Amino acid sequence: MYIPDGYLSPSTCAVLYGAAAPFWYTALQRVKKSLSTRLVPLLSVMAALSFVVMMFNLPLPGGTTGHAVGVAIATIILGPWASILAISIALSIQALFFGDGGITTLGANCFNMAIVGSLVAYAVYRLAAGRAALTSSRRVVAAALAGYTAINASAFCAAVEFGIQPLFFKDPSGAPLYAPYPLSIAIPAMMIGHLTFAGLAELVLSAGVVAYFQRTNPSLLKLTAPGNLAADEEIAGAESQSMWRTVRPLGIGLALLLVLTPLGILAAGTAWGEWSARDFTNLQAREKMALASQHAVPPVQPPLGLQRLSTLWTAPFPQYAPSFVRRPAVGYALSAMFGSGAIILASLITGSLATRARDKRDELS
Amino acid sequence: MPVPVFDVREVTFRYHRVMALDNLSLAIVPGQRVALLGANGSGKSTLLRILDGLAFPEKGSITFCGEVLTEERLQDSEFTFPFRRRVGLVFQNPDVQLFSPTVFDEVAFGPLQLQWPREKVRAKVEEMLEVMKITHLKDRSPHHLSTGEKKRVTLASVLVLDPEVLLLDEPTAALDPKSASQMIDFLIGLRGGAKTVITSTHDLDIVEDIADQCFVFQTGRVVAAGTPTEILRQTSMLEQTNLVHTHRHVHATGATHSHPHRHPNKH
Amino acid sequence: MNFLERTLAGFLSAMEHALDAEDLAKTHGLLQRLDPRIKVIGILTLIIGAATAHKLWVISAVFAIALILAASSRVSPLLLAKRVWIPVLLFTGIIALPAPFVIPGRVVWRLPGLGWPLTAQGLLSAGYLVTRVETASTLSVLLILSTPWTHVLKALRVLRVPVVLVVILGMAYRYIFLLLESACDMLESRRSRMVGELKGPDRRRLAAASVGVLMSKTMQLSGDVYSAMLARGFRGEVYLRNDFHTASLDWIMLAVFAALAAGALYYGR
Repeated sequence: MYIPDGYLSPSTCAVLYGAAAPFWYTALQRVKKSLSTRLVPLLSVMAALSFVVMMFNLPLPGGTTGHAVGVAIATIILGPWASILAISIALSIQALFFGDGGITTLGANCFNMAIVGSLVAYAVYRLAAGRAALTSSRRVVAAALAGYTAINASAFCAAVEFGIQPLFFKDPSGAPLYAPYPLSIAIPAMMIGHLTFAGLAELVLSAGVVAYFQRTNPSLLKLTAPGNLAADEEIAGAESQSMWRTVRPLGIGLALLLVLTPLGILAAGTAWGEWSARDFTNLQAREKMALASQHAVPPVQPPLGLQRLSTLWTAPFPQYAPSFVRRPAVGYALSAMFGSGAIILASLITGSLATRARDKRDELS
Repeated sequence: MPVPVFDVREVTFRYHRVMALDNLSLAIVPGQRVALLGANGSGKSTLLRILDGLAFPEKGSITFCGEVLTEERLQDSEFTFPFRRRVGLVFQNPDVQLFSPTVFDEVAFGPLQLQWPREKVRAKVEEMLEVMKITHLKDRSPHHLSTGEKKRVTLASVLVLDPEVLLLDEPTAALDPKSASQMIDFLIGLRGGAKTVITSTHDLDIVEDIADQCFVFQTGRVVAAGTPTEILRQTSMLEQTNLVHTHRHVHATGATHSHPHRHPNKH
Repeated sequence: MNFLERTLAGFLSAMEHALDAEDLAKTHGLLQRLDPRIKVIGILTLIIGAATAHKLWVISAVFAIALILAASSRVSPLLLAKRVWIPVLLFTGIIALPAPFVIPGRVVWRLPGLGWPLTAQGLLSAGYLVTRVETASTLSVLLILSTPWTHVLKALRVLRVPVVLVVILGMAYRYIFLLLESACDMLESRRSRMVGELKGPDRRRLAAASVGVLMSKTMQLSGDVYSAMLARGFRGEVYLRNDFHTASLDWIMLAVFAALAAGALYYGR
């Protein structure tokens, strides 16, 4: 989804430019280091290719056609950082020289498609392909999965960006100023189109091109396959020495998000489905439930399953605020930090365990 | 015996496991106009790139005015700065050489990279555009030019640096007859100048006009060397190297026969 | 061969659009005469003004300004309608259509027959979205139609875009046309060899192979361009010429742009 000018408020656009900047910066540094003087001709030509690929009309199962971004292909062949740059440049050219797609929303489009898309495609591809041979069909499946997931991740980001507009940006009479539909409409609307057509297009393209290169020039797939010494060294080096340095821009982005989480409190009512058994008998809570469910009347008794399970686990931070924290905003932020901290800790531990296991396996082999 | 401009000694170069140059040796004297003759794929383009320090042989050596061209040497900016000015290469495919937004920018690229002062750059570029008769194209983008115009721009962008050695890769390929003859006139005009000109071509008709010395290439080796007159007489050799062919054809009188011959305009 | 023909049509129209832009940029209208740096800044501030406004009349006023600029730059409204207004209406208009029915608020009308309520807030929000998108798109297309792309490129330096990115943008744009041409050649030759309809999987394989061939050519191209740059002295740093000269008209228009943008920001808040 190429977001045109006018759908996102200037502040949303600014935040997304800000979120994109550290990724652009990191990408430029890393690509400059690995390409040095080849940077200019290689990136230019890759960006031109990315632009042309976006214009391709692809045949889809069922007889329809669709467009793809090619983010998984770019990531698999160029690596995630060069892919971020090439696609961002292609999007910039589209906006600045062809007048297609917004200029204020360029940061948002790059963030959704180039940045989130490339990183998600990379993670999914590496995970799904594992250590399979360059010409194995597992890689084709992995590429298809990577493309499909990446484009849906991009669409989801765009849907969230749309959905929060009416939350924050309304005129005095209450009319939304930008994208008018709330999350409850924006997310399903965006995702339906992408889980089907756009996702299929990306899947078809990614699988097809990887299969083509497996037949004609498998060495092009080397960069993102383990067993490629350079890539492995880079990863090992990053993990041990400069892990913090390379992860820092992402950390900044995460910190920004953490600080902004209290904004969730401004959302009226409760999130759909996040009700406790008690809410079903509380009058105020029932009103909120009805509001969130498009005026459907909630059942008088809580569902049996909900009642049974609700006593099973009492979260350490019930209602997101331990008793000693008075102000809900602080509690919200603390919970967010604790939650993300727990996730980051878990991924670090699994990551280092995986590295240790792989190193041990490499030693033995 | 003057120091050869290029001294190629037993150079071997493989391109993706295909042998492009096979133990090749030749020497080029300053001021010479040389033609590298051979069918496509015979190694001429590869040699030109090696002469311009863009590729490096896996075996053998090549020297430029006594200096050995190695990958390390070409990374030393004290050497490459003057080298890039003294040797100019015009590629066969003009599109790869037209990467700047406008024609003016393209011709100005070399001087700007060599850090000439701005006024000098502008003056030199405008002069060059005049000489090549492409001043009217100066603000155009390369993708709208005809092949003949593109080739003139690539020539201009190399000549603006006033190189001592000019390397030309198939300068008349893909040109219509009029543009081709203009190009040939230009190449003839370089006769008697101080420049060393090395042209690769498979067009035997222009060889006598543009060169004093020829080397015939086949599968990465030099199979014959000599003046154009000497080379053109060796018809069986020329046939073997695919520079001429034999087939039946019809004369105006209606008689048909076959003999080795060249077609002035390739069909 | 639906997808082949549609792709070809898309490529051809992109090349045509670029040609149109180059032609229009050579005529002598108001925008064409301005220094591109001032044009880029001026139009950008107007787009931001339209994006920030909280009042419908302010957005419409900026749209009216865009129309005046178009008229004084000899850009025909028919061209704008074809390139901007109608496509935006078809895309954003359809997205905005449900808004009056879905957005909660004060009901002002009921659809006869179905009885669906339209809210004032819903109508307003649809209005905001459509006028904003139309205005911003009109302004960016005006910029493109009145400025040779090479000037837009160099004007980006004023916005502190790093030189290396400006060079990459320019080179990428230039090579887009080369790739489009060779892609057209490739697709047309495939189309001419098509006898009868292909089955689904074969069509998909054909599409993937087309993209694959294009990619391989691109790798080759990048290596050749790199050699060509090295051969002319490139060592990693790029140097650009700066050849823009501002005249008094430019400063006047800069002031006008600034005043209009300030007005939009002030009245639109």
